[in-house]
Amino acid sequence: MLYKAAFAVPLALAIGASYAADRFADQAPEEILQTLIDESGSAYLNQSPQNRQMMPDNPAYWVAEEGEELFKTPRGPKNASLEGCDFGKGPGVVEGAYVEMPRYFADTGKVMDLETRLVHCMTTLQGFAKDDPAVKKRHGSGSDMMKLQTYIAMQSNGLPWNPSLDHPMEKAMRDAGEVLFYRRAGPMDFSCNTCHGVTGQRIRASVLPNINEPHEWSKAISWPAERAGHQNVRSTQHRLRGCLWQMRHPGINAGSDASIALLSYWTDAARGQPAILPDLKR
Amino acid sequence: MLKRTTIAAAGAITAMALLTAGCTTNAAEQTAKGGGDYAKMSPDALAEHLIFETKSFKLDMPVQEGGTAEARLKQDEVQVLCSKLRGKPVDSETAAKVTAMSRETIKYPAGGIKLGDWKIGRQLAWSGFGYRVGHRNDDHSKAKNGPGGNCYNCHQLATDRTGGTIGPPLTGYGKLRGSSDAILKYTYDVIYNPHAYFACTHMPRIGAKGLLTEEQISHVMAYLFDPESPVNK
Repeated sequence: MLYKAAFAVPLALAIGASYAADRFADQAPEEILQTLIDESGSAYLNQSPQNRQMMPDNPAYWVAEEGEELFKTPRGPKNASLEGCDFGKGPGVVEGAYVEMPRYFADTGKVMDLETRLVHCMTTLQGFAKDDPAVKKRHGSGSDMMKLQTYIAMQSNGLPWNPSLDHPMEKAMRDAGEVLFYRRAGPMDFSCNTCHGVTGQRIRASVLPNINEPHEWSKAISWPAERAGHQNVRSTQHRLRGCLWQMRHPGINAGSDASIALLSYWTDAARGQPAILPDLKR
Repeated sequence: MLKRTTIAAAGAITAMALLTAGCTTNAAEQTAKGGGDYAKMSPDALAEHLIFETKSFKLDMPVQEGGTAEARLKQDEVQVLCSKLRGKPVDSETAAKVTAMSRETIKYPAGGIKLGDWKIGRQLAWSGFGYRVGHRNDDHSKAKNGPGGNCYNCHQLATDRTGGTIGPPLTGYGKLRGSSDAILKYTYDVIYNPHAYFACTHMPRIGAKGLLTEEQISHVMAYLFDPESPVNK
């Protein structure tokens, strides 16, 4: 359990109130979460003590281990490993890549999130057909997609969310995502803001995260996460799909530009806060 | 730490190089059929474009109220006005417009406002079933009393079940307010179209949008007002 060994290293450098870029870099997800709880007193962050107890044994670690193997193994018709895939920081560089996505990729001319980028590399670099189960199956801990996403995202644990807004396309997508976030529609007039604009409110027993409270929002967007109630690791696109379903909006296509715009806005909203990866949620 | 910093710095340089290359050779190609350059569109225009022109949503799928899902994303005037607030409290000009428009939508039962069966109302208040589409579709024929009212999602009502806190608690609703014609009308109005009183509220327009039928609303009203209802115990 290599991951656990790494987390056991005591943190000597985390002194000082402001978040230096590396303040949380060697902390386990549950330690990062505890700091956010201590600083904010947030009811959302504090709502599942049992889940927090399980975080050191998060089943997502095993999913990530399988993901690492998949990542490094030559696969697909072109027998290539994903070490040739550029996630924004150069081919094969995964450390810190996830907290800077969605980002613009010159080779596709598109702003892409992690899932979209993985699909791109698996279909181009590795030569998988788009309907190959390796690419097509997006959900569940047993899917290649979730194994790979969990492994890659974990390499950003503790790093501050820092999606690039330098390219005009990144800015455009973020700003459109903001419009979408507040856009009321559907038979019930819901927007994302209906549930995620105020701190401490609940839907039934579930405390909701507030996009305007960065401590809360950092955990809210920390996917992949094991969902205790689903007994599966879930992705950020899965969360988005679930929200829109409850909102009575039409189904959204994973990796679509509207989905990327929303992720661009919501990742920007957590800027500077440490990512909790992998997370464990209710 | 040192290693991470070095890698981060190298990454930043690489990213800058990529960005520079992107800007000179390949700028802003994220375009869709019939659409312009994303970076040249206003945020509002791009948002509309993304919804309707980029196959981002499953717009063609049939929905429970008839027609296709596309209609659900086309905003009516109240939705447009309230979305513009971006989560901020409603200003008086918007409030006046929304309130006036919303009052006109309220239709009353032919025989006047009546209270139905609080037991059915209790089930409807609890149920969050109905109108969901996408990876799973709610089959309304499977719900005995029709699609639910979703009341408990946001309101605490009777204390035997945990309700949400997006809306105010309604525990003891009838007990505290009595059941005069005026309070029955007010309550009916708020269920039917809450924007008539609370412009740009988060509460759905249960009657105006046809989410519950006249009869279903009478059951929910009974749940709120009937002295025997757990709400008033």
